[in-house]
Amino acid sequence: MAKLNISNIEKSYGDARILKGIDLDIEDGEFIALVGPSGCGKSTLLRIIAGLEIHDGGTVSINDKMIDGLRASQRNLAMVFQSYALYPHLSVFENIAVPLQMRRLNGWQRLPFIGPHLPGARKQLDDIETIVREAAETLDLVHLLERKPGQLSGGQRQRVAVGRALVREPQAFLLDEPLSNLDAKLRVHMRTEITELHRRLKATFVYVTHDQAEAMTMADRIAVMMDGELLQVDTPSEVYHRPVDVRVAEFIGSPKINLLVIGHDGTGNLTVAGQPVPFLYSDPSVVTLGARPEALSIVTWEAHLKGRVAHLENFGAEAFFHIVLEGVENRIVVRGQPSLLETVGIGDNVNLELDPEQVMAFGNDGKRMDAQFTVNEKREVA
Amino acid sequence: MTVALATQLPAPPSSPAASPKFSPASMKKRRVEAATTPWMFAGPAVFLMVIILIVPILLALYLSFTNYSLGVIDFEWIGFQNYERIFTRSSFSKMFTATFIYVGVVVPGSIIMGLLAALAINSLTIGRGFYQTIYFLPVMATLVAMAIVWELALHPSIGIINRFFEASCSVPILSDFLAMEWVPFVDSATTFFGHGCATGFPNWLGDRTTALPVLCFIGIWQAVGFNMVLYMAGLTSVPRELYQAAEMDGVISPWSRFWLVTWPMLGPTNVFVITITAIRSFQSFDTIEALTRGGPSKSTYVMMYALYEKGIKQNLIGMAAAITIIFLIFVFLLTMAQRYFVERKVHYS
Repeated sequence: MAKLNISNIEKSYGDARILKGIDLDIEDGEFIALVGPSGCGKSTLLRIIAGLEIHDGGTVSINDKMIDGLRASQRNLAMVFQSYALYPHLSVFENIAVPLQMRRLNGWQRLPFIGPHLPGARKQLDDIETIVREAAETLDLVHLLERKPGQLSGGQRQRVAVGRALVREPQAFLLDEPLSNLDAKLRVHMRTEITELHRRLKATFVYVTHDQAEAMTMADRIAVMMDGELLQVDTPSEVYHRPVDVRVAEFIGSPKINLLVIGHDGTGNLTVAGQPVPFLYSDPSVVTLGARPEALSIVTWEAHLKGRVAHLENFGAEAFFHIVLEGVENRIVVRGQPSLLETVGIGDNVNLELDPEQVMAFGNDGKRMDAQFTVNEKREVA
Repeated sequence: MTVALATQLPAPPSSPAASPKFSPASMKKRRVEAATTPWMFAGPAVFLMVIILIVPILLALYLSFTNYSLGVIDFEWIGFQNYERIFTRSSFSKMFTATFIYVGVVVPGSIIMGLLAALAINSLTIGRGFYQTIYFLPVMATLVAMAIVWELALHPSIGIINRFFEASCSVPILSDFLAMEWVPFVDSATTFFGHGCATGFPNWLGDRTTALPVLCFIGIWQAVGFNMVLYMAGLTSVPRELYQAAEMDGVISPWSRFWLVTWPMLGPTNVFVITITAIRSFQSFDTIEALTRGGPSKSTYVMMYALYEKGIKQNLIGMAAAITIIFLIFVFLLTMAQRYFVERKVHYS
């Protein structure tokens, strides 16, 4: 197993700068998720680590050894592709065995018919069979070993692709959006399976995804990438609660964070769409307030923010209220108890309260500012 | 498809749209319509297929059992006599020999060369279009015109090929090289070139031993470009991720990569190329007509030429029909083999 160090990676296609100097240190045994919108360069970065793409500048090292000059086949990394990339003419067993055959048998021993009878080949083939069967057992593929990939479901193909990566005991696993071709239910299931596999193998995983939910639920650390830059590398909880940048705050979390453009009324009070909010804050560089749906609540008493319910989403255990605020362009999404649905319906006017503990402040450069909000007046209990 | 369309047809206006239930009579009408409408849709296509495909074949089959000649009014049913002749007479055994040698050489030759050319051109980063065009030229050119060029080039005394060899005989370095003087244990006097310098070079198209090989060579020359284009198309459909997966799996040599990814993924292309090339070489006619006319001594008497000679030149339509039927059987067997391989072996998904 290994730690990976990526320093100052640059990559351009023609005039387009895809990666603008990426630095990332991945610890031994860590599960790191590279997450970002499509086109942000995360897959390119993974392929540079794998050696399938050549970078223009910077270095990649495994265990402090530079590997820039090595071909992908010599790096001892395993990769799971989005399309699984299984060999369609080989059975599941043969697919999983390919990386072992390529590394353990020489060219003569791989020949059909005569290869297995050459000296040394028998023992290697027996070893390969044992390893493949073990992997198949781990991944619950034993009953499918004779099938061709064409006869498997998406989830099964996925597991074969993982199996093929697994048998080699590589220094690190690289996974390129491995779940995006699966249906929603299976994706949630495979999320757990891959995370448990990581826990069992204690291997280094680099996982590329555009789905923030996968990154949040699976990774030890999340690396958020945007426009060829790494914005933040931190634990899921840190990235969620303390995003460094408004772009990170917007990308992580579902439903999306509510961004409220704020004004200053000159007396130290902040205003949202002209309505004063009960926060004292005098720093004029704060231009946006970020409030996740759970930072807002619908209250029965008279509050400073007032809006009208435009749409409801009931998830059973929780409900989301889409609220139009006077003078605010985007709808505000508020999380609430489903029991609220009994009293609040579409078209109703509601009072909203912000939790000062959970509100984030962003400056005009998009960076989050360490702002402490204090409530400036007593709440009137209705 | 037509069935699905037919069942979706709206009820005819005469049916009682107002009443929610259908009367037994209207139900029956709908059932009859559901049964007949598909045939009405398929009818024109079926009719055309019968008229222009099935009837001519049946007609040929019928004529092959007669002694019909064009213009003759009374002809007789002679049973299997035509077929009997085909399988007993020596000229027809020469026909089968020439045909199978031609197909047996041209098919593998042009396929292997075509694949190699496609792989080589595919690995280029610049000049792909240039090489593709060059290889494809023989396919685009009119074969009869090309045959005339070949005829001139292969002419025993004034052709460029023999003139080149004759001129080389007097250039020591070239003649030593061509006579394989440099290969150990080879007597340069017995090699093709050494022998030719002493006794004269062959009359390529006029000699029984060289005529068919030369035609095979021209056949390959002509088919390589076509096969190359098919293989190039096949190569572009191989997913790039498979090559990358192979790279990650530790495949280093191009040889292993070819056998692990390229060759298996070309399976469907292979079946198509083999079938098409085989059928086309069974059908080869124009070079033979232009260059050898089946000779010398029927050494290049391939099936299509025999068909032409019997049917058009000698007006033995019954005999020609019998050859046609045998030809059709060959093509049919080839197609069946193709279907078998497509469905059983190379269909991956």
